[in-house]
Amino acid sequence: MVVYLKNKFSDAGTATLFAARFFKEVFRPPLEIKEFLRQCYILGYKSLVLVGITAFIMGLVMTLQSRPTLVEFGAEAWLPGMVALSLVKEIAPVITAVICAGKIASAIGAELGSMKVTEQIDAMEVSAVNPYKYLVVTRVLATTLMIPLLVIFADAIGIFGSYISMNIHTDITLFRFLSKALGSIEFIDIIPATIKTFFFGFFIGMIGCYKGFTAANGTESVGRAANAAVVSASITIFVIDMIAVQITDLFL
Amino acid sequence: MQKSQESTQEDVVRTGKPIIEIKGLHKSFGKSNDILKGLDLTVNEGENLVVLGKSGSGKSVLIKCLVGLIRADQGEISVFGNNITTLDSNNLNAVRIRMGFLFQNAALYDSMTVRENLAFPLKRHQKDISDEDLDKTIRESLDSVGLEEAIDKMPSELSGGMRKRIGLARTLILKPEIMLYDEPTTGLDTITSREISELILAIQKKNKTTAIIITHDMACAKLTADRIVVLKEGVMEAEGTYESLENSEDEWIRSFFI
Amino acid sequence: MKNEAGFTWKLGMFVVVGLILFIAAIYIVGKQKNFFGSTFKVRTQFANVSGLKVGNNVRFSGINVGTVDDIQLVTDTTVAVLLVIKEDVQPFIKSDATATIGSDGLMGDRVLTINSGSARAAAIKDNGFIKSLSSVEMEDLMASVKTSLDNAGLITGELASFTHKMNNNNGALSRLMYDEGFSNSLKSTLSNLQTSTNEFAKFASNMNNEGGALAKLNDPEFGEKLDSTMSNLQSGTKGLSDNMEAAKNNFLLRGFFKKKKKAEEKKQNELKKQEEQRRKQQLKLAKERQEKGDTTVPAVPVVPADTTKTLIP
Repeated sequence: MVVYLKNKFSDAGTATLFAARFFKEVFRPPLEIKEFLRQCYILGYKSLVLVGITAFIMGLVMTLQSRPTLVEFGAEAWLPGMVALSLVKEIAPVITAVICAGKIASAIGAELGSMKVTEQIDAMEVSAVNPYKYLVVTRVLATTLMIPLLVIFADAIGIFGSYISMNIHTDITLFRFLSKALGSIEFIDIIPATIKTFFFGFFIGMIGCYKGFTAANGTESVGRAANAAVVSASITIFVIDMIAVQITDLFL
Repeated sequence: MQKSQESTQEDVVRTGKPIIEIKGLHKSFGKSNDILKGLDLTVNEGENLVVLGKSGSGKSVLIKCLVGLIRADQGEISVFGNNITTLDSNNLNAVRIRMGFLFQNAALYDSMTVRENLAFPLKRHQKDISDEDLDKTIRESLDSVGLEEAIDKMPSELSGGMRKRIGLARTLILKPEIMLYDEPTTGLDTITSREISELILAIQKKNKTTAIIITHDMACAKLTADRIVVLKEGVMEAEGTYESLENSEDEWIRSFFI
Repeated sequence: MKNEAGFTWKLGMFVVVGLILFIAAIYIVGKQKNFFGSTFKVRTQFANVSGLKVGNNVRFSGINVGTVDDIQLVTDTTVAVLLVIKEDVQPFIKSDATATIGSDGLMGDRVLTINSGSARAAAIKDNGFIKSLSSVEMEDLMASVKTSLDNAGLITGELASFTHKMNNNNGALSRLMYDEGFSNSLKSTLSNLQTSTNEFAKFASNMNNEGGALAKLNDPEFGEKLDSTMSNLQSGTKGLSDNMEAAKNNFLLRGFFKKKKKAEEKKQNELKKQEEQRRKQQLKLAKERQEKGDTTVPAVPVVPADTTKTLIP
């Protein structure tokens, strides 16, 4: 039991040191700009279709599902505002982050895990290139900046999906719909929702890298690293979301 | 953080003949898993040293300790007169640049083409290199392993022997003074193994490098070795030329040569 | 390297479009909050802001022109409210404008409405003060709705009893509506009336024709004769009454007149007594009837709704 606890604590300690190293390395030049841009492209741009489809469907389905209840109260006019508000505040950030945890964290975990297993990370190390800087800093930085961007796309596409589904039942022009949808949103809704997406991005990248970097030797540990990355990243996203909402609630 | 090759050569003092000196090296994983138990070893400049031993006898751990991938628990490792075990990361990197390490599976970067693989260390240690010089150096290095046509291929498109040779080219591109080979012929057919072994010899002759070769392959050992060291349970069991060990009185040592 | 240039422009497009979307959203939201564009401030005071919050809309002529910027309790019965309003509408808000708090729909947000002042008053200045009208509270609204509902209940109750009686009782209206015999008799009455009026018409025409005694009444000559006859009669009777008076005063006849007077007084007293007795008897009878429960029903009575049941035979 004591050994088990000790192992768990030492795991937590390793993870903390691993994350702390990021802040040490990120400010130390030279930054691997090219690799950073490449990761932004792979992790950001290439996730856009997936995130877009999910956000579109979320917007569409939420509008269709909320509609009967609101119609019952004669508050159908609230539908665009309500859907837009829940998309921007909660649904789009969390769904995008969870989708990206599935796609990005697992990809990073598997990639770095296999690099670790096939000694590519060691090879970098012995060629006197800092693998942490080249592999971890670029990826974590890329996810930290790309996830918020993806969330903005998800917001926009989700609201568009909501517009499409509104048009199934009633005729409403896009301009009027947008003015209604955006009319309900205030800075207090946008700012905390955007700030938390940076944390989502950071942790998605960081957990993927950590799980990949600490993969044991052997091919089967690559799969385990990818799996562990997805599970940990998803849980972490919900925990961060809970903390973020509580903090927002406390101060605003 | 990474100093250029020129400045590091000033930092490191050359100490004449013995280029690597290992004294009382200990390394254990966990409490009861002792791998190296007080190993002593000296490698002289310009020689090809082959290290033999059963699996788990600590051969791989030995050369990983040499480049600082694994930190030794106890003992002293002196490379170019610098104690690897006490160097900080900047000085360690300065020493590492002068050493080449060929991994068991070549460890090519999967996400990059052959060209990018070779350019990767070069760009980071010679930052002001022009594109033409870079291309020229890459082609020269590939030419020396006889695979210039593979320059724009991805590592996944290459066979095992080709990967080994590309790995070798990538290691050689920084013109190291010491080469460390971790089982260079494992997993290859006998003809390809022979080609790799000949390549190791050619490199030694061309670049005047010192090399430590870890292998099970006796054909490779016979071809490349100037001197052979046999490890057993974390310490050096025997030392000598190929011929002298082949005719050793020790039954256990002779069993390697059958 | 070819693939590098390939991904760079896609990445650039991705980042630029994302940032444009974000900035556009910030701008649109900011515009609603009056974060951009020039604004001015207006102060007002309420006794009760009924749930008005910072950030609620300010309406003028039904247009959103600003937001509530600050709400502060000044004393136990005064709340100071600071409004931020677009500068464009400043000339239209007069210094005697008033502020009220309403709600946006039945369940909606609170809205502060500025009612335009008189046209002649000067436009409001920056940081100017406007008066407030106490807002219509939901409870007040509900209370007034309740009294009208109560009244409506009373009216419909009365109506119900009325229609019920009309349908079931033998009242005049119900007979009018439903009793065939009654309607037949009414019909015959009407036809009789018609014949009698016909007769009357004949009579009237006869009367108008000259010759008949009655027709003579219409004759002016006859009238004059009648008049003179009557005046003669008057003078005749006057003479007679003078004679009578003289006779009364005559001592021979005085006794007779006295007796006559006394007899008359006696007769009157008897009459009074008889009348009293009759009244008593009637009262007795009435009492007896009431005890028996044999009350008669008024023709169209206004009876409270709850007593209708006992009245149904």
